[in-house]
Amino acid sequence: MTSVQVVAAVAVLAVPFLGADRYLLKVLTFVGVNTLIVLGLALLFGYAGQVSLGHAAFFGIGAYTSAYLSSALGLPWLVAVAAAVGLTACAGWAVAVPGLRLKGHYLAMATLGFNEIMSVAFVEARRFTGGNDGLGGVPFPSIGPYELDTPASLYLLVWGVALVALVGAANIVKSRPGRAMRALHCTEPGASACGIDVSSVKVRAFTLSAALAGLAGSLYAHTVGFISPTTFGLDLSILLVAAVVLGGRESLAGPVVAMAALTLLQYLGALVPGLSRQAAEAVQDWVPDIVGLTVVGVLIARSRGFRLRGRRGVPERGGQG
Amino acid sequence: MPDALEVVGLHAGYGRILVVRDASLRVEPGEVVALLGSNGSGKSTLLKAVAGLLKPEAGAVRLFGKDVTGVPPERLVSNGLALVPEGRMLFGPLTVAENLALGAYATGHVQEVLERVLALFPVLSARLSQPASTLSGGEQQMLAIGRALMSRPRVMLLDEPSLGLAPRVVSDIFDVLDELRSEGIAVVLVEQDANLALKHADRGYVMRGGRIVMEGPAADLRRNDDVRLAYLGSWHGKEPTDADLES
Repeated sequence: MTSVQVVAAVAVLAVPFLGADRYLLKVLTFVGVNTLIVLGLALLFGYAGQVSLGHAAFFGIGAYTSAYLSSALGLPWLVAVAAAVGLTACAGWAVAVPGLRLKGHYLAMATLGFNEIMSVAFVEARRFTGGNDGLGGVPFPSIGPYELDTPASLYLLVWGVALVALVGAANIVKSRPGRAMRALHCTEPGASACGIDVSSVKVRAFTLSAALAGLAGSLYAHTVGFISPTTFGLDLSILLVAAVVLGGRESLAGPVVAMAALTLLQYLGALVPGLSRQAAEAVQDWVPDIVGLTVVGVLIARSRGFRLRGRRGVPERGGQG
Repeated sequence: MPDALEVVGLHAGYGRILVVRDASLRVEPGEVVALLGSNGSGKSTLLKAVAGLLKPEAGAVRLFGKDVTGVPPERLVSNGLALVPEGRMLFGPLTVAENLALGAYATGHVQEVLERVLALFPVLSARLSQPASTLSGGEQQMLAIGRALMSRPRVMLLDEPSLGLAPRVVSDIFDVLDELRSEGIAVVLVEQDANLALKHADRGYVMRGGRIVMEGPAADLRRNDDVRLAYLGSWHGKEPTDADLES
Protein backbone atom coordinates (compact mmCIF):
# COMPACT_ATOMS: atom_id res chain seq x y z
CA MET A 1 0.00 0.00 0.00
CA THR A 2 1.18 3.48 -0.73
CA SER A 3 1.30 6.16 1.95
CA VAL A 4 -1.70 7.91 0.36
CA GLN A 5 -3.77 4.76 0.78
CA VAL A 6 -2.71 4.34 4.41
CA VAL A 7 -3.59 7.98 5.17
CA ALA A 8 -6.98 7.54 3.48
CA ALA A 9 -7.69 4.38 5.50
CA VAL A 10 -6.69 6.05 8.78
CA ALA A 11 -8.79 9.12 7.91
CA VAL A 12 -11.84 6.94 7.23
CA LEU A 13 -11.45 5.10 10.53
CA ALA A 14 -10.83 8.36 12.46
CA VAL A 15 -14.18 9.92 11.50
CA PRO A 16 -16.13 8.74 14.63
CA PHE A 17 -13.45 10.22 16.90
CA LEU A 18 -13.68 13.64 15.27
CA GLY A 19 -17.05 14.39 16.78
CA ALA A 20 -19.23 13.61 13.78
CA ASP A 21 -22.90 13.57 14.77
CA ARG A 22 -25.03 10.41 14.90
CA TYR A 23 -26.91 11.09 11.69
CA LEU A 24 -23.79 11.78 9.67
CA LEU A 25 -22.21 8.58 11.04
CA LYS A 26 -25.27 6.57 9.97
CA VAL A 27 -25.13 8.00 6.47
CA LEU A 28 -21.42 7.28 6.24
CA THR A 29 -22.08 3.74 7.47
CA PHE A 30 -24.43 3.29 4.49
CA VAL A 31 -21.61 4.54 2.29
CA GLY A 32 -19.43 1.79 3.78
CA VAL A 33 -22.08 -0.85 3.08
CA ASN A 34 -22.40 0.34 -0.51
CA THR A 35 -18.61 0.32 -0.82
CA LEU A 36 -18.64 -3.41 -0.11
CA ILE A 37 -21.27 -4.09 -2.79
CA VAL A 38 -19.64 -1.91 -5.42
CA LEU A 39 -16.26 -3.58 -4.76
CA GLY A 40 -17.75 -6.90 -5.78
CA LEU A 41 -19.32 -5.40 -8.87
CA ALA A 42 -16.07 -3.63 -9.79
CA LEU A 43 -14.31 -7.01 -9.77
CA LEU A 44 -17.05 -8.66 -11.81
CA PHE A 45 -17.90 -5.86 -14.23
CA GLY A 46 -14.86 -3.57 -14.22
CA TYR A 47 -12.25 -6.33 -14.33
CA ALA A 48 -13.89 -9.51 -15.68
CA GLY A 49 -16.27 -7.57 -17.96
CA GLN A 50 -19.41 -9.43 -16.87
CA VAL A 51 -22.29 -7.07 -16.20
CA SER A 52 -24.82 -7.74 -13.43
CA LEU A 53 -28.02 -5.79 -12.96
CA GLY A 54 -28.97 -8.07 -10.09
CA HIS A 55 -26.60 -7.13 -7.32
CA ALA A 56 -29.30 -5.48 -5.20
CA ALA A 57 -30.98 -8.89 -5.07
CA PHE A 58 -27.83 -10.53 -3.69
CA PHE A 59 -27.62 -7.65 -1.20
CA GLY A 60 -31.21 -8.47 -0.24
CA ILE A 61 -30.63 -12.21 0.07
CA GLY A 62 -27.78 -11.52 2.49
CA ALA A 63 -29.84 -9.03 4.49
CA TYR A 64 -32.95 -11.22 4.81
CA THR A 65 -30.99 -14.38 5.59
CA SER A 66 -29.05 -12.68 8.35
CA ALA A 67 -32.09 -10.86 9.73
CA TYR A 68 -34.32 -13.96 9.77
CA LEU A 69 -31.71 -16.24 11.34
CA SER A 70 -30.79 -13.84 14.11
CA SER A 71 -34.21 -12.39 14.96
CA ALA A 72 -36.65 -15.26 14.29
CA LEU A 73 -34.34 -18.16 15.12
CA GLY A 74 -32.13 -16.32 17.59
CA LEU A 75 -28.85 -17.56 16.14
CA PRO A 76 -25.64 -15.75 17.15
CA TRP A 77 -24.60 -12.84 14.96
CA LEU A 78 -21.46 -14.45 13.53
CA VAL A 79 -23.41 -17.57 12.53
CA ALA A 80 -26.03 -15.41 10.82
CA VAL A 81 -23.34 -13.49 8.92
CA ALA A 82 -21.61 -16.68 7.81
CA ALA A 83 -24.92 -18.21 6.69
CA ALA A 84 -25.86 -15.03 4.81
CA VAL A 85 -22.54 -14.95 2.94
CA GLY A 86 -22.71 -18.68 2.22
CA LEU A 87 -26.27 -18.61 0.95
CA THR A 88 -25.63 -15.54 -1.21
CA ALA A 89 -22.54 -17.17 -2.69
CA CYS A 90 -24.65 -20.24 -3.55
CA ALA A 91 -27.30 -18.00 -5.12
CA GLY A 92 -24.57 -16.22 -7.10
CA TRP A 93 -23.19 -19.53 -8.29
CA ALA A 94 -26.67 -20.74 -9.26
CA VAL A 95 -27.27 -17.59 -11.33
CA ALA A 96 -23.77 -17.63 -12.82
CA VAL A 97 -23.67 -21.19 -14.14
CA PRO A 98 -26.56 -20.80 -16.59
CA GLY A 99 -26.34 -17.00 -16.84
CA LEU A 100 -22.74 -16.66 -17.93
CA ARG A 101 -23.43 -18.62 -21.10
CA LEU A 102 -24.98 -15.30 -22.08
CA LYS A 103 -22.97 -12.25 -23.02
CA GLY A 104 -23.33 -8.47 -22.87
CA HIS A 105 -26.91 -7.26 -23.13
CA TYR A 106 -28.35 -10.76 -22.71
CA LEU A 107 -26.48 -11.25 -19.45
CA ALA A 108 -27.69 -7.81 -18.32
CA MET A 109 -31.29 -8.82 -19.10
CA ALA A 110 -30.97 -12.17 -17.30
CA THR A 111 -29.56 -10.60 -14.13
CA LEU A 112 -32.17 -7.83 -14.33
CA GLY A 113 -34.82 -10.53 -14.49
CA PHE A 114 -33.27 -12.21 -11.47
CA ASN A 115 -33.46 -8.93 -9.53
CA GLU A 116 -37.15 -8.53 -10.41
CA ILE A 117 -37.93 -12.13 -9.42
CA MET A 118 -36.20 -11.64 -6.07
CA SER A 119 -38.04 -8.34 -5.51
CA VAL A 120 -41.32 -10.24 -5.82
CA ALA A 121 -40.00 -13.04 -3.62
CA PHE A 122 -38.99 -10.59 -0.86
CA VAL A 123 -42.59 -9.28 -0.81
CA GLU A 124 -44.38 -12.62 -1.19
CA ALA A 125 -42.36 -14.83 1.15
CA ARG A 126 -44.11 -13.19 4.12
CA ARG A 127 -43.29 -15.94 6.57
CA PHE A 128 -39.61 -15.17 6.25
CA THR A 129 -39.45 -11.57 5.07
CA GLY A 130 -42.52 -9.93 6.58
CA GLY A 131 -43.68 -8.90 3.09
CA ASN A 132 -44.17 -5.21 2.38
CA ASP A 133 -44.14 -4.43 6.12
CA GLY A 134 -40.52 -5.51 6.28
CA LEU A 135 -38.61 -7.31 8.97
CA GLY A 136 -37.83 -5.44 12.17
CA GLY A 137 -36.12 -6.09 15.45
CA VAL A 138 -32.89 -7.31 13.91
CA PRO A 139 -30.39 -7.44 16.80
CA PHE A 140 -27.18 -5.43 16.77
CA PRO A 141 -23.97 -7.29 15.96
CA SER A 142 -22.62 -9.02 19.04
CA ILE A 143 -19.96 -11.50 19.99
CA GLY A 144 -20.66 -13.08 23.35
CA PRO A 145 -21.48 -10.31 25.82
CA TYR A 146 -20.09 -7.54 23.63
CA GLU A 147 -22.67 -5.71 21.56
CA LEU A 148 -21.99 -3.03 18.97
CA ASP A 149 -24.94 -0.71 19.53
CA THR A 150 -23.55 2.81 19.07
CA PRO A 151 -23.39 4.53 15.66
CA ALA A 152 -19.63 4.93 16.10
CA SER A 153 -18.99 1.23 16.75
CA LEU A 154 -21.25 0.20 13.86
CA TYR A 155 -19.45 2.64 11.61
CA LEU A 156 -16.09 1.17 12.60
CA LEU A 157 -17.35 -2.39 12.05
CA VAL A 158 -18.73 -1.69 8.56
CA TRP A 159 -15.74 0.36 7.42
CA GLY A 160 -13.29 -2.08 8.96
CA VAL A 161 -14.82 -4.89 6.91
CA ALA A 162 -14.99 -2.67 3.81
CA LEU A 163 -11.31 -1.74 4.08
CA VAL A 164 -10.27 -5.37 4.53
CA ALA A 165 -12.34 -6.26 1.45
CA LEU A 166 -10.73 -3.40 -0.46
CA VAL A 167 -7.23 -4.66 0.36
CA GLY A 168 -8.28 -8.21 -0.56
CA ALA A 169 -9.75 -7.08 -3.87
CA ALA A 170 -6.63 -5.05 -4.64
CA ASN A 171 -4.56 -8.18 -4.10
CA ILE A 172 -6.82 -10.28 -6.29
CA VAL A 173 -6.61 -7.93 -9.27
CA LYS A 174 -2.81 -7.83 -9.05
CA SER A 175 -2.38 -11.58 -8.90
CA ARG A 176 -3.04 -14.55 -11.19
CA PRO A 177 -6.86 -14.74 -10.95
CA GLY A 178 -7.04 -10.97 -11.52
CA ARG A 179 -4.94 -11.25 -14.65
CA ALA A 180 -7.19 -14.05 -15.88
CA MET A 181 -10.26 -11.87 -15.31
CA ARG A 182 -8.73 -8.95 -17.20
CA ALA A 183 -7.65 -11.28 -20.00
CA LEU A 184 -11.11 -12.69 -20.63
CA HIS A 185 -12.49 -9.16 -20.53
CA CYS A 186 -10.23 -8.38 -23.52
CA THR A 187 -10.79 -11.50 -25.61
CA GLU A 188 -12.27 -14.83 -24.58
CA PRO A 189 -10.72 -16.88 -27.42
CA GLY A 190 -7.34 -15.33 -26.61
CA ALA A 191 -7.79 -16.19 -22.94
CA SER A 192 -8.64 -19.83 -23.63
CA ALA A 193 -5.71 -20.05 -26.06
CA CYS A 194 -3.55 -19.13 -23.04
CA GLY A 195 -4.97 -22.02 -21.05
CA ILE A 196 -7.45 -20.00 -19.01
CA ASP A 197 -10.67 -21.86 -18.22
CA VAL A 198 -12.90 -18.94 -19.18
CA SER A 199 -16.20 -20.22 -17.83
CA SER A 200 -14.69 -21.28 -14.51
CA VAL A 201 -13.07 -17.87 -13.98
CA LYS A 202 -16.37 -16.16 -14.79
CA VAL A 203 -18.35 -18.33 -12.38
CA ARG A 204 -15.83 -17.79 -9.58
CA ALA A 205 -15.81 -14.02 -10.12
CA PHE A 206 -19.60 -13.93 -10.07
CA THR A 207 -19.80 -16.06 -6.92
CA LEU A 208 -17.25 -13.91 -5.09
CA SER A 209 -19.02 -10.77 -6.22
CA ALA A 210 -22.39 -12.05 -4.97
CA ALA A 211 -20.83 -13.13 -1.67
CA LEU A 212 -19.51 -9.60 -1.08
CA ALA A 213 -23.02 -8.21 -1.73
CA GLY A 214 -24.39 -10.79 0.72
CA LEU A 215 -21.87 -9.72 3.36
CA ALA A 216 -22.89 -6.11 2.82
CA GLY A 217 -26.55 -7.11 3.15
CA SER A 218 -25.91 -8.85 6.43
CA LEU A 219 -24.01 -5.87 7.86
CA TYR A 220 -26.76 -3.55 6.66
CA ALA A 221 -29.54 -5.56 8.33
CA HIS A 222 -27.79 -5.61 11.71
CA THR A 223 -26.82 -1.96 11.47
CA VAL A 224 -30.26 -0.49 10.74
CA GLY A 225 -32.29 -3.16 12.56
CA PHE A 226 -35.15 -2.99 10.02
CA ILE A 227 -35.26 -4.05 6.37
CA SER A 228 -37.96 -3.83 3.72
CA PRO A 229 -38.15 -4.93 0.06
CA THR A 230 -37.85 -1.45 -1.51
CA THR A 231 -34.18 -1.24 -0.48
CA PHE A 232 -33.28 -4.21 -2.69
CA GLY A 233 -34.94 -3.15 -5.91
CA LEU A 234 -33.61 -2.49 -9.38
CA ASP A 235 -32.84 1.17 -8.51
CA LEU A 236 -29.89 0.13 -6.37
CA SER A 237 -28.64 -2.34 -9.00
CA ILE A 238 -28.64 0.41 -11.60
CA LEU A 239 -26.92 2.82 -9.22
CA LEU A 240 -24.17 0.22 -8.65
CA VAL A 241 -23.61 -0.34 -12.38
CA ALA A 242 -23.55 3.44 -12.88
CA ALA A 243 -20.88 3.75 -10.18
CA VAL A 244 -18.66 1.16 -11.90
CA VAL A 245 -19.15 2.85 -15.29
CA LEU A 246 -18.30 6.24 -13.78
CA GLY A 247 -15.38 4.82 -11.82
CA GLY A 248 -13.85 3.26 -14.87
CA ARG A 249 -12.77 -0.11 -16.19
CA GLU A 250 -10.07 -1.87 -14.19
CA SER A 251 -10.29 0.38 -11.18
CA LEU A 252 -11.33 -0.22 -7.57
CA ALA A 253 -10.88 3.28 -6.15
CA GLY A 254 -12.91 4.82 -9.00
CA PRO A 255 -16.13 2.85 -8.43
CA VAL A 256 -15.79 3.21 -4.64
CA VAL A 257 -15.52 7.01 -4.86
CA ALA A 258 -18.30 7.19 -7.45
CA MET A 259 -20.61 5.04 -5.30
CA ALA A 260 -19.84 7.18 -2.24
CA ALA A 261 -20.78 10.30 -4.20
CA LEU A 262 -23.99 8.74 -5.54
CA THR A 263 -24.95 7.55 -2.04
CA LEU A 264 -24.29 10.94 -0.43
CA LEU A 265 -26.32 12.67 -3.15
CA GLN A 266 -29.47 11.12 -1.67
CA TYR A 267 -28.78 12.65 1.74
CA LEU A 268 -27.67 16.01 0.41
CA GLY A 269 -30.40 17.94 2.28
CA ALA A 270 -29.22 16.79 5.68
CA LEU A 271 -25.52 16.98 4.93
CA VAL A 272 -25.24 20.49 3.51
CA PRO A 273 -26.31 22.83 6.37
CA GLY A 274 -27.37 25.88 4.35
CA LEU A 275 -29.40 23.99 1.76
CA SER A 276 -33.08 24.92 1.70
CA ARG A 277 -35.71 22.24 2.13
CA GLN A 278 -37.06 22.67 -1.39
CA ALA A 279 -33.62 22.43 -2.94
CA ALA A 280 -32.83 19.27 -0.98
CA GLU A 281 -36.12 17.66 -2.02
CA ALA A 282 -35.57 18.66 -5.63
CA VAL A 283 -32.15 16.98 -5.62
CA GLN A 284 -33.62 13.86 -4.01
CA ASP A 285 -36.37 13.66 -6.65
CA TRP A 286 -33.87 14.08 -9.43
CA VAL A 287 -31.24 11.61 -8.24
CA PRO A 288 -32.00 8.97 -10.92
CA ASP A 289 -31.97 11.63 -13.62
CA ILE A 290 -28.74 13.16 -12.35
CA VAL A 291 -27.14 9.70 -12.27
CA GLY A 292 -28.37 8.83 -15.78
CA LEU A 293 -27.26 12.12 -17.29
CA THR A 294 -23.87 11.93 -15.60
CA VAL A 295 -23.30 8.42 -16.96
CA VAL A 296 -24.27 9.50 -20.48
CA GLY A 297 -22.09 12.59 -20.21
CA VAL A 298 -19.08 10.63 -18.99
CA LEU A 299 -19.51 7.97 -21.67
CA ILE A 300 -19.58 10.67 -24.34
CA ALA A 301 -16.54 12.45 -22.93
CA ARG A 302 -14.49 9.40 -21.96
CA SER A 303 -15.69 6.09 -23.25
CA ARG A 304 -13.83 4.17 -20.57
CA GLY A 305 -14.90 6.23 -17.58
CA PHE A 306 -12.66 8.20 -15.29
CA ARG A 307 -9.48 6.56 -14.25
CA LEU A 308 -8.55 7.34 -10.69
CA ARG A 309 -5.18 5.73 -11.11
CA GLY A 310 -2.01 7.67 -11.76
CA ARG A 311 -1.65 6.52 -15.32
CA ARG A 312 -0.70 8.35 -18.43
CA GLY A 313 -3.44 8.54 -21.02
CA VAL A 314 -2.49 6.11 -23.75
CA PRO A 315 -4.32 6.21 -27.05
CA GLU A 316 -6.44 3.08 -27.23
CA ARG A 317 -6.14 1.04 -30.37
CA GLY A 318 -7.79 -2.24 -31.22
CA GLY A 319 -5.82 -4.93 -29.46
CA GLN A 320 -6.90 -7.46 -32.03
CA GLY A 321 -6.37 -5.33 -35.13
CA MET B 1 8.95 -42.13 -31.27
CA PRO B 2 5.34 -41.13 -31.91
CA ASP B 3 4.52 -38.11 -34.04
CA ALA B 4 4.26 -34.80 -32.20
CA LEU B 5 0.82 -34.29 -33.66
CA GLU B 6 -1.28 -36.83 -35.47
CA VAL B 7 -4.73 -36.17 -36.91
CA VAL B 8 -6.64 -39.19 -38.18
CA GLY B 9 -9.83 -39.11 -40.26
CA LEU B 10 -11.05 -35.88 -38.70
CA HIS B 11 -14.54 -34.61 -39.50
CA ALA B 12 -15.48 -31.18 -38.17
CA GLY B 13 -17.99 -28.45 -38.85
CA TYR B 14 -20.46 -25.98 -37.45
CA GLY B 15 -23.82 -27.37 -36.36
CA ARG B 16 -25.13 -29.56 -39.14
CA ILE B 17 -22.73 -28.19 -41.74
CA LEU B 18 -19.70 -30.41 -42.12
CA VAL B 19 -16.70 -28.37 -43.28
CA VAL B 20 -13.72 -30.68 -42.86
CA ARG B 21 -14.07 -34.26 -44.09
CA ASP B 22 -11.75 -37.11 -43.34
CA ALA B 23 -8.63 -35.03 -42.84
CA SER B 24 -5.46 -36.80 -41.74
CA LEU B 25 -2.07 -35.27 -41.15
CA ARG B 26 0.98 -35.78 -39.02
CA VAL B 27 3.83 -33.58 -37.81
CA GLU B 28 7.12 -34.79 -36.41
CA PRO B 29 9.02 -32.99 -33.64
CA GLY B 30 11.08 -30.19 -35.14
CA GLU B 31 9.11 -30.20 -38.36
CA VAL B 32 7.33 -27.21 -39.89
CA VAL B 33 4.26 -28.26 -41.84
CA ALA B 34 2.30 -25.85 -44.02
CA LEU B 35 -1.45 -26.23 -44.41
CA LEU B 36 -2.49 -24.61 -47.67
CA GLY B 37 -5.73 -23.93 -49.42
CA SER B 38 -7.80 -21.08 -50.76
CA ASN B 39 -10.48 -19.25 -48.80
CA GLY B 40 -13.14 -21.57 -47.44
CA SER B 41 -11.17 -24.74 -48.06
CA GLY B 42 -11.41 -25.69 -44.39
CA LYS B 43 -7.89 -25.00 -43.09
CA SER B 44 -8.97 -22.75 -40.23
CA THR B 45 -11.76 -25.15 -39.26
CA LEU B 46 -9.28 -28.02 -39.17
CA LEU B 47 -6.95 -25.95 -37.00
CA LYS B 48 -9.79 -25.01 -34.63
CA ALA B 49 -10.76 -28.66 -34.27
CA VAL B 50 -7.16 -29.60 -33.46
CA ALA B 51 -6.85 -26.74 -30.95
CA GLY B 52 -10.02 -27.80 -29.14
CA LEU B 53 -12.01 -24.69 -30.04
CA LEU B 54 -14.38 -26.89 -32.06
CA LYS B 55 -15.49 -30.39 -31.13
CA PRO B 56 -14.71 -32.83 -33.97
CA GLU B 57 -17.63 -34.90 -35.33
CA ALA B 58 -15.40 -37.91 -35.87
CA GLY B 59 -11.76 -38.86 -36.01
CA ALA B 60 -8.92 -38.49 -33.57
CA VAL B 61 -6.27 -35.95 -32.56
CA ARG B 62 -3.17 -37.29 -30.83
CA LEU B 63 -0.36 -35.39 -29.14
CA PHE B 64 2.76 -37.55 -28.82
CA GLY B 65 0.54 -40.62 -29.03
CA LYS B 66 -1.90 -39.37 -26.37
CA ASP B 67 -5.50 -39.04 -27.48
CA VAL B 68 -6.68 -35.44 -26.98
CA THR B 69 -9.75 -35.44 -29.25
CA GLY B 70 -12.29 -32.90 -28.03
CA VAL B 71 -10.18 -31.81 -25.05
CA PRO B 72 -10.92 -28.11 -24.31
CA PRO B 73 -8.20 -25.63 -25.31
CA GLU B 74 -7.30 -24.62 -21.77
CA ARG B 75 -6.29 -28.22 -21.02
CA LEU B 76 -4.44 -28.70 -24.30
CA VAL B 77 -2.04 -25.92 -23.29
CA SER B 78 -0.81 -27.93 -20.33
CA ASN B 79 -0.43 -30.91 -22.68
CA GLY B 80 2.12 -28.97 -24.73
CA LEU B 81 -0.02 -27.53 -27.52
CA ALA B 82 -0.14 -23.79 -28.12
CA LEU B 83 -2.31 -21.89 -30.55
CA VAL B 84 -1.49 -18.52 -32.06
CA PRO B 85 -5.01 -17.60 -33.10
CA GLU B 86 -5.97 -15.81 -36.28
CA GLY B 87 -6.26 -12.09 -35.55
CA ARG B 88 -3.73 -12.56 -32.72
CA MET B 89 -6.31 -12.10 -29.91
CA LEU B 90 -3.96 -10.12 -27.70
CA PHE B 91 -5.05 -8.50 -24.43
CA GLY B 92 -4.98 -4.92 -25.75
CA PRO B 93 -5.13 -2.81 -22.57
CA LEU B 94 -2.72 -5.11 -20.71
CA THR B 95 1.00 -4.52 -20.95
CA VAL B 96 3.36 -6.62 -23.06
CA ALA B 97 4.76 -8.13 -19.85
CA GLU B 98 1.28 -9.05 -18.63
CA ASN B 99 0.42 -10.59 -22.00
CA LEU B 100 3.53 -12.74 -21.81
CA ALA B 101 2.80 -13.71 -18.20
CA LEU B 102 -0.68 -14.82 -19.22
CA GLY B 103 0.87 -17.07 -21.85
CA ALA B 104 2.40 -19.03 -18.98
CA TYR B 105 -0.92 -19.05 -17.06
CA ALA B 106 -1.51 -22.80 -17.34
CA THR B 107 2.05 -24.03 -17.08
CA GLY B 108 3.65 -21.67 -14.59
CA HIS B 109 6.03 -18.80 -15.16
CA VAL B 110 9.67 -19.63 -15.80
CA GLN B 111 12.17 -16.78 -16.01
CA GLU B 112 14.42 -18.55 -18.56
CA VAL B 113 11.49 -19.02 -20.92
CA LEU B 114 10.73 -15.30 -20.76
CA GLU B 115 14.37 -14.50 -21.47
CA ARG B 116 14.40 -16.87 -24.44
CA VAL B 117 11.24 -15.29 -25.87
CA LEU B 118 12.71 -11.82 -25.47
CA ALA B 119 15.92 -13.00 -27.14
CA LEU B 120 13.82 -14.29 -30.03
CA PHE B 121 11.93 -10.99 -30.30
CA PRO B 122 14.30 -8.31 -28.94
CA VAL B 123 11.90 -5.53 -29.91
CA LEU B 124 9.51 -6.70 -27.18
CA SER B 125 12.05 -6.11 -24.37
CA ALA B 126 11.85 -2.37 -24.96
CA ARG B 127 8.06 -2.44 -24.85
CA LEU B 128 7.41 -4.60 -21.76
CA SER B 129 5.52 -1.93 -19.82
CA GLN B 130 3.54 -0.66 -22.81
CA PRO B 131 -0.09 -1.72 -23.48
CA ALA B 132 -0.20 -4.37 -26.20
CA SER B 133 -2.64 -2.26 -28.22
CA THR B 134 0.04 0.39 -28.78
CA LEU B 135 2.35 -2.02 -30.66
CA SER B 136 2.62 -2.06 -34.42
CA GLY B 137 1.02 -4.93 -36.32
CA GLY B 138 4.29 -6.80 -36.69
CA GLU B 139 5.16 -6.36 -33.03
CA GLN B 140 1.70 -7.58 -32.09
CA GLN B 141 2.22 -10.75 -34.14
CA MET B 142 5.59 -11.27 -32.44
CA LEU B 143 3.91 -10.82 -29.06
CA ALA B 144 1.22 -13.34 -30.02
CA ILE B 145 3.88 -15.91 -30.93
CA GLY B 146 5.90 -15.01 -27.83
CA ARG B 147 2.84 -15.40 -25.62
CA ALA B 148 2.23 -18.88 -27.07
CA LEU B 149 5.89 -19.82 -26.50
CA MET B 150 5.61 -18.88 -22.80
CA SER B 151 3.76 -22.15 -22.15
CA ARG B 152 6.80 -24.10 -23.43
CA PRO B 153 4.81 -25.84 -26.18
CA ARG B 154 6.04 -28.88 -28.08
CA VAL B 155 3.46 -28.32 -30.80
CA MET B 156 2.52 -24.88 -32.05
CA LEU B 157 -0.38 -23.99 -34.32
CA LEU B 158 0.08 -20.73 -36.21
CA ASP B 159 -3.00 -19.31 -37.90
CA GLU B 160 -2.31 -16.77 -40.65
CA PRO B 161 0.73 -15.05 -39.11
CA SER B 162 1.31 -12.82 -42.16
CA LEU B 163 -2.20 -11.38 -42.22
CA GLY B 164 -2.12 -7.63 -42.82
CA LEU B 165 1.61 -7.22 -42.25
CA ALA B 166 4.28 -5.50 -44.34
CA PRO B 167 6.48 -7.98 -46.32
CA ARG B 168 9.67 -7.06 -44.47
CA VAL B 169 8.09 -7.71 -41.06
CA VAL B 170 6.64 -10.96 -42.38
CA SER B 171 10.07 -12.26 -43.29
CA ASP B 172 11.35 -11.42 -39.77
CA ILE B 173 8.52 -13.42 -38.27
CA PHE B 174 9.04 -16.36 -40.59
CA ASP B 175 12.74 -16.47 -39.75
CA VAL B 176 11.67 -17.33 -36.21
CA LEU B 177 10.16 -20.56 -37.57
CA ASP B 178 13.66 -21.81 -38.27
CA GLU B 179 14.57 -21.14 -34.61
CA LEU B 180 11.54 -23.08 -33.42
CA ARG B 181 12.45 -25.98 -35.69
CA SER B 182 15.97 -26.11 -34.27
CA GLU B 183 14.48 -26.29 -30.77
CA GLY B 184 12.43 -29.33 -31.77
CA ILE B 185 9.03 -27.65 -31.70
CA ALA B 186 6.55 -29.05 -34.21
CA VAL B 187 4.78 -26.26 -36.10
CA VAL B 188 1.58 -26.32 -38.13
CA LEU B 189 1.41 -23.22 -40.26
CA VAL B 190 -1.84 -22.10 -41.87
CA GLU B 191 -1.05 -19.46 -44.41
CA GLN B 192 -2.71 -17.73 -47.36
CA ASP B 193 0.64 -16.93 -48.91
CA ALA B 194 1.46 -20.44 -50.10
CA ASN B 195 4.75 -19.46 -51.71
CA LEU B 196 6.05 -17.95 -48.49
CA ALA B 197 4.79 -20.82 -46.36
CA LEU B 198 6.41 -23.48 -48.57
CA LYS B 199 9.69 -21.58 -48.51
CA HIS B 200 9.87 -22.04 -44.72
CA ALA B 201 8.11 -25.38 -44.32
CA ASP B 202 9.48 -28.92 -44.54
CA ARG B 203 6.29 -30.47 -45.80
CA GLY B 204 2.90 -29.27 -46.88
CA TYR B 205 -0.72 -30.35 -47.12
CA VAL B 206 -3.13 -28.85 -49.62
CA MET B 207 -6.84 -28.65 -48.78
CA ARG B 208 -9.74 -28.20 -51.15
CA GLY B 209 -13.43 -28.41 -50.34
CA GLY B 210 -12.73 -29.58 -46.80
CA ARG B 211 -10.52 -32.49 -47.84
CA ILE B 212 -6.78 -32.88 -47.96
CA VAL B 213 -6.10 -33.41 -51.65
CA MET B 214 -2.33 -33.38 -51.80
CA GLU B 215 0.65 -33.72 -49.55
CA GLY B 216 4.39 -33.84 -49.93
CA PRO B 217 7.74 -32.20 -49.28
CA ALA B 218 7.57 -28.42 -49.50
CA ALA B 219 10.05 -28.25 -52.38
CA ASP B 220 7.98 -30.67 -54.48
CA LEU B 221 4.77 -28.79 -53.80
CA ARG B 222 6.38 -25.54 -54.87
CA ARG B 223 7.32 -27.09 -58.22
CA ASN B 224 4.03 -28.91 -58.66
CA ASP B 225 2.04 -27.32 -61.48
CA ASP B 226 -1.34 -28.05 -59.93
CA VAL B 227 -0.39 -26.35 -56.68
CA ARG B 228 1.09 -23.42 -58.51
CA LEU B 229 -1.99 -23.08 -60.65
CA ALA B 230 -4.33 -23.36 -57.70
CA TYR B 231 -2.58 -21.57 -54.87
CA LEU B 232 0.52 -19.73 -55.87
CA GLY B 233 -1.59 -17.62 -58.12
CA SER B 234 0.89 -15.98 -60.42
CA TRP B 235 -0.12 -17.69 -63.66
CA HIS B 236 -3.45 -16.03 -64.10
CA GLY B 237 -4.44 -12.47 -63.39
CA LYS B 238 -6.37 -13.60 -60.34
CA GLU B 239 -6.18 -16.47 -57.92
CA PRO B 240 -8.68 -19.18 -58.89
CA THR B 241 -11.16 -19.91 -56.13
CA ASP B 242 -12.59 -23.22 -55.05
CA ALA B 243 -15.61 -22.60 -57.24
CA ASP B 244 -13.43 -22.22 -60.37
CA LEU B 245 -11.68 -25.48 -59.66
CA GLU B 246 -14.87 -27.45 -59.08
CA SER B 247 -16.32 -26.49 -62.47
